[in-house]
Amino acid sequence: MPPSGIPAKRALPSKEAALFKELLNLYETRQLKKAQKTADQILKKFPEHGETLCMKGLVLTHMGRREEGLELVKKGVRLDLTSHIVWHVFGLIQKGEKNYEEALKSYTQALKFDKENMNILRDAAHLQTQLRQYDSLVETRHTLLRLRPNLRSNWLGLAVAYHLNGQLGEAKRVLEHYEESLKNIPDYDVEHSEVMLYHVRVLEDLGELSEALSLLDVSAKSRAIIDRVAIMEFRARLLSKSNMNDDAEHTWQALIEQNPDNYSYFKGYLSNRGIDLDNITDETRPKALEVLKSFSSQLPRAAAPRRLALAVATDDEFKELAEPYITSGLQRNIPSLFADIKSLYRDTHKLSVIASIAERHHAELKTQEQPAPDAADAAEPPTTYLWTLYFLAQHHSHIGAHARALELLDEALAHTPTLPELHMLRGRVLKRLGDPYGAARAMDEARVLDLQDRFLNTKCGKYRLRAGMQEEAQDVFGLFTKKDAPSPGADLEDMQSVLFLLEDADAHRRAGNLGMALKRYTAIQKLYTEFEDDQFDFHGYSLRKFNINIYLNMIDWADNLRSQPAYVRAAIAAAQLFVRLHDDPTLASRSSSSSKMSDEEKKAKKKAKKAASKAQEDPKKAAANSNDDKGLDATPPKDDDPDGSKILKADDGLERAAEFLSPLTTLAADNVDAWVAIYDVAVRRKKYLQAVQALNRASALDESHPEIHLRLIHFKKTVSCLPQEPPAPIGPVLSQSTSKLIATDVALDIYNSQYLQKHPGSPRATFAFARALKVLGAPIDEVENTLFGLLHPEANLDVKTALDVLSYLNDISSSRSEEFRTACDSKFDRSTVFKTSEEVVILRKEAVAPPPDVATAVNGDEDKTDVIS
Amino acid sequence: MNIRQARVEDLAGMQACNLQNLPENYTMKYYLYHALSWPQLSYVAEDHEGRIVGYILAKMEEDVADGDESHGHVTSISVLRSYRRLGLAKRLMVQSQEAMATVYRASYVSLHVRKSNRAALSLYKDTLGFTVKEIEKKYYADGEDAYAMRLSLKHLAR
Repeated sequence: MPPSGIPAKRALPSKEAALFKELLNLYETRQLKKAQKTADQILKKFPEHGETLCMKGLVLTHMGRREEGLELVKKGVRLDLTSHIVWHVFGLIQKGEKNYEEALKSYTQALKFDKENMNILRDAAHLQTQLRQYDSLVETRHTLLRLRPNLRSNWLGLAVAYHLNGQLGEAKRVLEHYEESLKNIPDYDVEHSEVMLYHVRVLEDLGELSEALSLLDVSAKSRAIIDRVAIMEFRARLLSKSNMNDDAEHTWQALIEQNPDNYSYFKGYLSNRGIDLDNITDETRPKALEVLKSFSSQLPRAAAPRRLALAVATDDEFKELAEPYITSGLQRNIPSLFADIKSLYRDTHKLSVIASIAERHHAELKTQEQPAPDAADAAEPPTTYLWTLYFLAQHHSHIGAHARALELLDEALAHTPTLPELHMLRGRVLKRLGDPYGAARAMDEARVLDLQDRFLNTKCGKYRLRAGMQEEAQDVFGLFTKKDAPSPGADLEDMQSVLFLLEDADAHRRAGNLGMALKRYTAIQKLYTEFEDDQFDFHGYSLRKFNINIYLNMIDWADNLRSQPAYVRAAIAAAQLFVRLHDDPTLASRSSSSSKMSDEEKKAKKKAKKAASKAQEDPKKAAANSNDDKGLDATPPKDDDPDGSKILKADDGLERAAEFLSPLTTLAADNVDAWVAIYDVAVRRKKYLQAVQALNRASALDESHPEIHLRLIHFKKTVSCLPQEPPAPIGPVLSQSTSKLIATDVALDIYNSQYLQKHPGSPRATFAFARALKVLGAPIDEVENTLFGLLHPEANLDVKTALDVLSYLNDISSSRSEEFRTACDSKFDRSTVFKTSEEVVILRKEAVAPPPDVATAVNGDEDKTDVIS
Repeated sequence: MNIRQARVEDLAGMQACNLQNLPENYTMKYYLYHALSWPQLSYVAEDHEGRIVGYILAKMEEDVADGDESHGHVTSISVLRSYRRLGLAKRLMVQSQEAMATVYRASYVSLHVRKSNRAALSLYKDTLGFTVKEIEKKYYADGEDAYAMRLSLKHLAR
């Protein structure tokens, strides 16, 4: 309190002052109803008492009456702007709404009027960490330590703050002080052990390797550090870095014995001998192989050294090692054998060696199979034959020989029709052939063979979504989701299933329901906000738990969250939709969902309505009873856009897209598609500098990428059509960077033709060329003729590109799109994606497998028991 | 497959793996809570592309009843169907148990399994040596009973 005394409007007579104190106590102990009554008692006489109004608002918020509470708090703040209590309360409410920036502002105000309030300081520190304001975090942590130096976590708080602020040396100093001040550390203390490991990490990061090593060794010996794996990992790394290679080798060896399946231990061991496992040279190859072979014989049960040797070996040596590896995998019926060795296929020699090993087994086993051998003398059990067929089918599909793969699978299925893996693989091959409906059916056939297995269920649901069977997908997902959830999809969203949200979004997009697609993509955006918010509680928790190393890793994780593929994919896909809607506003009404709304969406809409009206009733009910503490965290707002029609018609689509994409500029900087999407949005927002920068970044990654070629032409055209050059400095910078990207002395149509000549036989390049023609104003028949040229046998057209071309022809309202569709349908004879919508209705019906008869279901179950371990 | 301690960056992959395999699912915060409280106890199996194909999510029991000993608990363990038969579950479990015993001095590890999940039951019992301690009625949200299983870790103490 300021020494000059309490402001008149805050001062209360002694009776009310006592009541206010009681109010604070009641709140602390969460006796909410009593607290509310006490507040009312004060307000009766002093209705303008700011602190009481705020406390009442806070209490009401806890009781679930957030809106009312917030009103009171705001009023209270206005009435007493110099009270730390009102600002603290306001900050608490904002924090509950996860509005961290505003909350921190309120806390900063509160601290102006009560500089040494521990609670406020601590909360402020958490907010500063969340907002990555590390300078002020250091200050706050300093104050906290000065006020309470005997609290151990305050020391760590300061060290961590320095660490985050990049002042490692200061962090080290704080740790040293802290350790000196410690008395009677209990023996075998996990918390202390973690702190010491953190100290070692700081020394390692500072490059003080010998200090780090001696602290580690002393602490390990005295049992101050008790985490054996961590001790060995630190020790091996530190010794290697310090060139104490003999000692290091022993520790790497010990780590390998502790966990012979950890690749990084083998890498460490080899690197300690000067061998970089990721960049083997002819010189290091024999040495690496010698080490790996020796570990293979020392550790007969470990798979890692054998598998690593396959990557290192070449020529005959590879053959020698691959032979027993493949053979034993087949004999042990390992389903993942092909997935395991697939990455070796980058080397075509290895590919042919592996293929010939498998083909030889196939031939040998086939002769054994044919004459119906006496089970007793069969050299190999029939399952080996089965898994060899399975392996070979994967091999052939991988190299594009899908028909052969299907033949092999047919043979395998004739042998054992109840093995789900065979049906799954058949589904995958059909998918690759452009037959999503056949694929979905095959997955369903796999699923019904083992109804207890959620893995098969998930695959089946995913394949149904790929086949545009969204309701049928929900039906199967629903077999494993919570029964009391509003819908299977809602449960999957609650459980943060990125896979479901992405696949469902894509399915809506393909079906032309752009509103629902956008809704799902933005659900992923929200999910990542949730993940980011999730870290908040750990800013306090981890200091109390003393788990600093993992906490710092979490901070890094949170900083890089949006580099995860799911976010990147969702952001790009959503941006593309927003761009399409911007370019053709009639799309919004055409794809408006109400007419196309599926039953599921209709149900969702109904439910949302019901929930909304229920939510309106609820506060009254809550008011009537209960001392129940609902906490301060705001409940997520009710879904006010159940069918996506609102987001579809949003007039700030491009701004939303830009916001969605903005993390990608740093977190997906090596992704061409991301830069292309950033360009598409920027150029339409008339942010030309941003647009040209995006093109620069993209073309640095892949100069001749077809999508970039198209954008270069589009950009040049757009800029040249501007009524006047933008004012300096933008204008000159713009023309300079543009001329760097695309030569100014060549006419754009010639530039476009040159691109096509440079990339013969690339359907994607032709597709980009044709779209560029359109941008340059060529007549539509020229565009069409170019695209129809792709149907020529030598054009290497693939299903995916053909689909994109078809949808482009539709977009530009080409009169020949139907002709293109029919041509593709006969060109890709195994595909079904070019069927008419009438045919698709039938295909979808057939894609649901009939329920299994009891006998096969039981069989499938038995299969499972021996597949699991 | 590469078997190593779980890192924070693995949690999304573990969550995806869990959602594909098992009916008991958790939000990211719960994974974070495990990793940040007991960073030594959770492990992952990773394929050559860096995809998580199996995991064990484990913790120490926080509310140890009077007379009970400090013990670990397996919240969730699973391996993608296409990566079974490699013994991954066992390898994951062994690493986690070792850490429970040496870092936290756990005297045993516990877990729950659905009564109907014969495959998992046989894995825990026959392959990993767990025994059924009791049946917990209606343990799961859908009303199914669970076997509460245990395995002593005394042999790992040092």
